[in-house]
Amino acid sequence: MDKIKLRQICFLFAALMPVTKMIIYPATVSYYAKNDLLLSAALNLLLMGAVLALVLFLAYRTDMTFFDLLQNTFGRVAARIIYGLFALFFAFSALLPLMEQKGFVTQIFYENIPPVIAFAPFFGVSFFACVKGFKTIGRAADIAMPVFAVCFAVIILLALPEADFSALLPVGGGGEGIFRGSLYGLTWYTDCLYPLFFLGHFKREKGAWWKVGICYLVGAAAVLLFLGTFYGIFADIALRQQNAVAQISKYTTAFTSLGRIDLLFIFALALVLVLSQCVPAQLSVHCACRALGDIGPLWPAAALNILLLGFTVFFKYSYLELQTFFTQNLWFVFLIFSYVLPVSAHLLRKQERGRQGKTGGQKHGAQCGNRGARMKETRKGDTTGEERHE
Amino acid sequence: MNKFWSRIFLFAVAFLLLLFFSNDFGIVNIQKTAIVVAVGLDIADGDKVDVTAQIAMPASSNSGGGAEASSNVSIHGAATVGEAIAELNRKTGWYPTLVHCRLVVLGEGTDSEDVFRFSDYFLRSEFVEDSCLLAMCEGRAEELLRAKSSVGDMTSAAIAKVLSNESQKTGTVCVVNLRDFAKGYYSVSGSGALPVLSAKPEAESGDSGGAGGAQGAFAGDCGGFAGSSALPVQGSSGSGNSGAGGGKSGNQNKSDVFDATKTALFFGGKRTALLEAEETLAYNLAASPTDFAYGDVTVTENGKDVTYNLKMKIGKRSQDLTVEGGVPVFTFRIRANAQVADTNKSETIEEVAKTTIVPEHVLRAAEEKFRQKLSAVLKKANAGGCDLFEMKIKLYRFARPYFDALKDTVLQDAKVVYDIQFDTLK
Repeated sequence: MDKIKLRQICFLFAALMPVTKMIIYPATVSYYAKNDLLLSAALNLLLMGAVLALVLFLAYRTDMTFFDLLQNTFGRVAARIIYGLFALFFAFSALLPLMEQKGFVTQIFYENIPPVIAFAPFFGVSFFACVKGFKTIGRAADIAMPVFAVCFAVIILLALPEADFSALLPVGGGGEGIFRGSLYGLTWYTDCLYPLFFLGHFKREKGAWWKVGICYLVGAAAVLLFLGTFYGIFADIALRQQNAVAQISKYTTAFTSLGRIDLLFIFALALVLVLSQCVPAQLSVHCACRALGDIGPLWPAAALNILLLGFTVFFKYSYLELQTFFTQNLWFVFLIFSYVLPVSAHLLRKQERGRQGKTGGQKHGAQCGNRGARMKETRKGDTTGEERHE
Repeated sequence: MNKFWSRIFLFAVAFLLLLFFSNDFGIVNIQKTAIVVAVGLDIADGDKVDVTAQIAMPASSNSGGGAEASSNVSIHGAATVGEAIAELNRKTGWYPTLVHCRLVVLGEGTDSEDVFRFSDYFLRSEFVEDSCLLAMCEGRAEELLRAKSSVGDMTSAAIAKVLSNESQKTGTVCVVNLRDFAKGYYSVSGSGALPVLSAKPEAESGDSGGAGGAQGAFAGDCGGFAGSSALPVQGSSGSGNSGAGGGKSGNQNKSDVFDATKTALFFGGKRTALLEAEETLAYNLAASPTDFAYGDVTVTENGKDVTYNLKMKIGKRSQDLTVEGGVPVFTFRIRANAQVADTNKSETIEEVAKTTIVPEHVLRAAEEKFRQKLSAVLKKANAGGCDLFEMKIKLYRFARPYFDALKDTVLQDAKVVYDIQFDTLK
């Protein structure tokens, strides 16, 4: 069984979620919302938090996986089709962050523009992560948490003396730009979708609500603090500051004689970024495996990573066009898959077919009490589920 | 997947990560690459630009202990800076990399229309750090970069010392990087300030009445700053122990020292005024991150003029803009601690020992001088439309409802309040 621990889901939101919003997103949201970028980001974070809460609520109501829920409601074929669509969506949503990361690595860590091959090792890492499944996501989150905590703290501490937070004033003057920033920023806010696929893969613990909630709030606060500091440093020229995480700490005067020692921490954050970029690819492979009839992850993982490598080469000089297309034309795709569908999951049948008569009259508490037994029965009866996948 | 393959994968991942982060594919071929450390821009005929690139040359370690050397390459009459950089490649065969460019010097004439007409190239490029220093110069930037430095062979390194953070902390130089200037230029104020560099032959550098006499002491008895008072802080005057291009008197070849105590003020990218050395100090004390500054104050004691050299530590500084009854009120609030660094009178040993205590009348005289100087700076800046103290920005941020009505008149109509207090150890 492909398991992930609740602690690791918490770390996913506290460490992996913020780091993806520290490269191109700050400049993009500054472009639309200007000094109201915090409002724009807060809107996205609120929306994402609400969806996350609903998904967690769903986890409390059923022990089934998302695939089982779909199969239970629409039948096996429909469930595979929907999973196929999610596989495509995850592959699709992995593309832009990949290009973003490629630009970040090549512009910040290299003196001259390197050949594409310089970025290729990422796909080796991604392939490994995809093959290993959810366990790797969990372990990646475990590794990322302390690295992120230390490096983020250092980068922010180096940047804070240069930040003039009055640049964020006056609040609320952005008007339409705030909503536009939120809408076009949706491509960076797909993290709330992940727990939907962890349903049935993690053990509910006492206090899971507030544990995940607090970690999400920590991650959200990190995003807002970063954005505020970023705008405080660059103000009206923030919209041209790509690779924001590598820009904000370089003005510190404390280490002028030592050179840019902040790069050490930026390197470490880039490692966290690598791990976070693997998550959508892993979920894409997970979905593809289920959609293709519970096949092993080796071939889907290889195919996906080769495909992503191909796209990276093909769109080598087209990041801006790709970003504009994704953010301005395809925002509704992200809205549907990351927000509408997870919320709609509550409508799915949460009891196995044929069992409704037996358990239908029971109260929710009783259903929860029988979950363990029912899950065992389900797995016995449905060997095409997680066991075959394992 | 069995354990064997897992281990193979793990090793592969470790190896790939090593390649990924070690810049293994990005080694710079020093034979083919020109590492540009400074760029000078000059106006040429017909709206063209002359670009001078100072290129760092690797020196062998047995020829002077690995001293840095540089070579200047100039491209004349290019339409844009980008074209000139490309031309540099064609002419020399070197591929110019600007990642290490730490200084951009704008020659005289580039400020007559809009300095960002040419210098925005450095803002556009992802491969130029916007933390690089930006400065104007007297005369041509090309000539300034060809000046012979007295501290090493790289002129740009000597200039960077003049424009160091240490100079900024003493208030002698207005240090500005590309980001700072661009922020002002693209803000609602559209204003900014740049230090003005000049190279002076070392022989002249001892002249305390020259531009090097920056540190602008509060001299004169309650009347204003005395422009001729030089202070022993680093800067540009070329004194032997100066950190800012101070000359090495033992040098056989006549070399130049650099001065940056004057400050050019800009509005809309055009130069509108020039602050002299002592005005630069007053501006820095009020608005820049200055830690310690030295200044002279002359007072009358027992019928004689006595000059006190004060060491001032700025404790708190702020400028606030409020709108009271439709009238903008701009308040300078400055708190500083002073101690006596020296006087021009002989004192008893007890008085010498009490160096941390400044007489009350000297403190009040210092406050008055500072107020007068600051007032002169504000007047000079406002006359040209330069929003040096960011009044428009403050109006926009803190009094947004009044912004549209007052933005065009705030510089002229603002009532200025000077809340300046110098204190000492009691």
